[in-house]
Amino acid sequence: MAYNSNSVNISVEAPIENQIQEITYDGQEIYQAPLTLSESLAKYAQKIDFSRALSEINVKKESGDNSDDSKSDGDSKDAFQSNLWPWDSIRNKLRNAYQEVCVLSDVLTIAKEKRYMVLDPVQQEPIETKPMVQIYARKKALTGAASVLLTGAERLKTSQNELLRNRSTPDFHIELLRLRQNWRLKKVSNSIIGDLSYRTAGSKYAQSGMFEVTKAEEEEKSSSPPSSPMPVPAPAKSNSSLRVTVPSELQGVAYIEVLCQKDQEDLCSANINLLNSAPTTANPDVHWQQKLEAAQNVLFCKELFNQLAKEAVQLQAPIPHMVVGNQIMATVLPGIQLVIGLCHSTSSEKKSSQLTPPPSKSDHDHVLEHSLHQLLREVHHKNTHHPFPHPSSAPLGPSKKRYLAGPMAADRYELLEMTQSETLLEQIIKQAQHFFMRMRTEYVLDTIAKEVKDPLISSHWNTLNSPTQSCVKINISTHGYDAVCRTPLVIHVGEKSLKCICRDGKVMHMSYEPQELRDLIFCHINQHQILAVQALAKTMGWQFLGNSNHLGLGAVEPLGNASSCLLASPIGDRLIAVRCEPQSGVQVSVVHSPRTDFFPSRLVTERKWEHLGGQFREVRLEKMEGRNFLHKMELLMASLTSNS
Amino acid sequence: MGVTVLQQFPIVENRTGPLTIDLLTKRISALGATQQGQFLVDCETFTSIQQLGHQRTVHVLHNSEQPATVFSILETGTKTIPLATDGLFDLLMTKMNNFYTAKKQTKVESKGPRFEIGDFLVKLGSVTITQNFKGVLVEVEYKPCVVPAMCWELMREFLQGFLGSSVPNTPPAYLQNRMQEIYTPIDTIHQYLEQFTMYRKSPGMRT
Repeated sequence: MAYNSNSVNISVEAPIENQIQEITYDGQEIYQAPLTLSESLAKYAQKIDFSRALSEINVKKESGDNSDDSKSDGDSKDAFQSNLWPWDSIRNKLRNAYQEVCVLSDVLTIAKEKRYMVLDPVQQEPIETKPMVQIYARKKALTGAASVLLTGAERLKTSQNELLRNRSTPDFHIELLRLRQNWRLKKVSNSIIGDLSYRTAGSKYAQSGMFEVTKAEEEEKSSSPPSSPMPVPAPAKSNSSLRVTVPSELQGVAYIEVLCQKDQEDLCSANINLLNSAPTTANPDVHWQQKLEAAQNVLFCKELFNQLAKEAVQLQAPIPHMVVGNQIMATVLPGIQLVIGLCHSTSSEKKSSQLTPPPSKSDHDHVLEHSLHQLLREVHHKNTHHPFPHPSSAPLGPSKKRYLAGPMAADRYELLEMTQSETLLEQIIKQAQHFFMRMRTEYVLDTIAKEVKDPLISSHWNTLNSPTQSCVKINISTHGYDAVCRTPLVIHVGEKSLKCICRDGKVMHMSYEPQELRDLIFCHINQHQILAVQALAKTMGWQFLGNSNHLGLGAVEPLGNASSCLLASPIGDRLIAVRCEPQSGVQVSVVHSPRTDFFPSRLVTERKWEHLGGQFREVRLEKMEGRNFLHKMELLMASLTSNS
Repeated sequence: MGVTVLQQFPIVENRTGPLTIDLLTKRISALGATQQGQFLVDCETFTSIQQLGHQRTVHVLHNSEQPATVFSILETGTKTIPLATDGLFDLLMTKMNNFYTAKKQTKVESKGPRFEIGDFLVKLGSVTITQNFKGVLVEVEYKPCVVPAMCWELMREFLQGFLGSSVPNTPPAYLQNRMQEIYTPIDTIHQYLEQFTMYRKSPGMRT
């Protein structure tokens, strides 16, 4: 009883949780939605299977009375249908079932009495079994089961694979983070848009450098490899879960080609290309970093070319610059043209032509390549880096000098000077001009050094120079007599002119014609020979009587003047005259006075007149011993001195 | 920028302003000068309102020789403060309209042809106060020198050469105190202001 009183009411009811429909691989349970009241009722009602009983009844009915009942049935159905009661069929089925049960109970009661009815077992004929049919049926059932197992295994395998792959390739979000560290991104509604233009670095180029970042669909690719248009299916390289889409005009590879033509013949060329190993960006499998860098390069080259073309049209050059298609032509020096071209290959079908570099044009000049690049960067830099301090009320942009022009009361000339700035094209033309001047100067000096052996000509180029100015120091000296005499020259190579600072401090300005420099060097070689002989004479104890750098005597020289000097032996009995001509070389003559022997003649009666000097006799230098001119002169002087 | 001397040229009874300018143009052209455009110096004067206390005057001047600059001279009564500023100063003055009001009918201008002759720059300006002709100012600048004492004699000779005896032998009053100092554009402005003030005070034409 006590147990009874303490008894607890236990209510048993269905759990509130819904039935689990599916458990996914990650353990997530998918529930069935709970049934509403009407749905559950309908469900239960549907569980009742009336069909068989009804069909039997129908068969009975049809066998019993054919025409009348069916008609009445049809009538009643029509009536019910007009009612449109939803439970109509179920009521009918219930009524039929009830009828059958009643009939069954009647039969059973009658059979129980055993007066009117006896139930006897009926001999059933055995069902004939076909073994082949059974085998087929089993086989079919087994294949069905096998396919279920196989698909299950397949799914497990793919999930395993994905797990492995995810371990090697970083997550989309991590990759996005990395992208964001180097590129500008922003979210626009549901997509991620990036900007690869140089606008934040100071570019004012109008074309936008938008690109879109999407998630790479790995599964789609792996499930349908034949449909994806991959030319070379290399699974190892495309292990990025991130994909960038670059506008079509920025796809491909672009570079700027700088050619210097002389009479339609290429002298040198420079190709600007940020990426030496140009990746085919049209290929979807290239890593996004390379793809974006290539696109940025395309944008940069386009901006550079655009800027140059604009300037080429605007500039008022004596020989107008030409802009034809993707090429700009400018005349650097007479007969030498600078051609700047933009090469942009967009589609991957040009890939083959890309890979084989365009026929190598003799010299690949890295300097022009670099400077063009640098010039635009400089413009960008200037656009963003304004000089400090900025006046808060004044517009940004003018130079610091211009800011100060007002308070410092700059006059109109100073202001005019400030407005003048060099364009990119002018600067690159100047650099090209300087390049040619340098090349020509080098050539002239080298050929002279090769041609002229006697005084040695050595040139030293300064390693430190600017893109438009360089300097070369030339030393003219004689082998073995460097300490006696040396003629230094300094040549400043500019853009269109040369400036030569001579030994005596004279400054000579020359044009771009190489012949002028050549003539100047030859004049200096002459001068060097005369000066060296004089210096040598001093060390030998000979007297230096006189010299003339520009001798008025003798045949007229095609360039410069002959120079000469006159030397006397220590005791004055012998004279040496040296005449140096740029064209015919050096002539040396000797005179003895007085001569050792004297024969009085009608004109010269006394020996004393011999002191006035006499006939000069030319020395055949080429027959003399000695390494070079100065050595020969030394030997000559020595022999003449010892004789006395 | 060299030393500038501003000289007033008297107008003879029977001669008008344009005629005087023509005469001077002929004289200077005869010396071999070439005309290089026009010039303009203008001056506007602002005074502070009563509420600011002691009255101060601001003269704002522009010189076409220094196109990016606005010169202003503030007179407090005890001292004058010159200032050379950016072009934005004009906008600042319009903002300060409530405290510094422009005097009516006081805009003075000197404009005319500008000549170059060797190292000299000669400007023949006809002075007008609100479109009324007042007189002729001749400005001569000697460009290579910046110390007035070193070139005054030369400039006097040059001035007397084509302006005649109207040029005094002593330098202008403003320069006399600064003969040894380095000449700056604001000194030119001071000379103009002195001349303009005299034109304002004198009714009618200065002769």
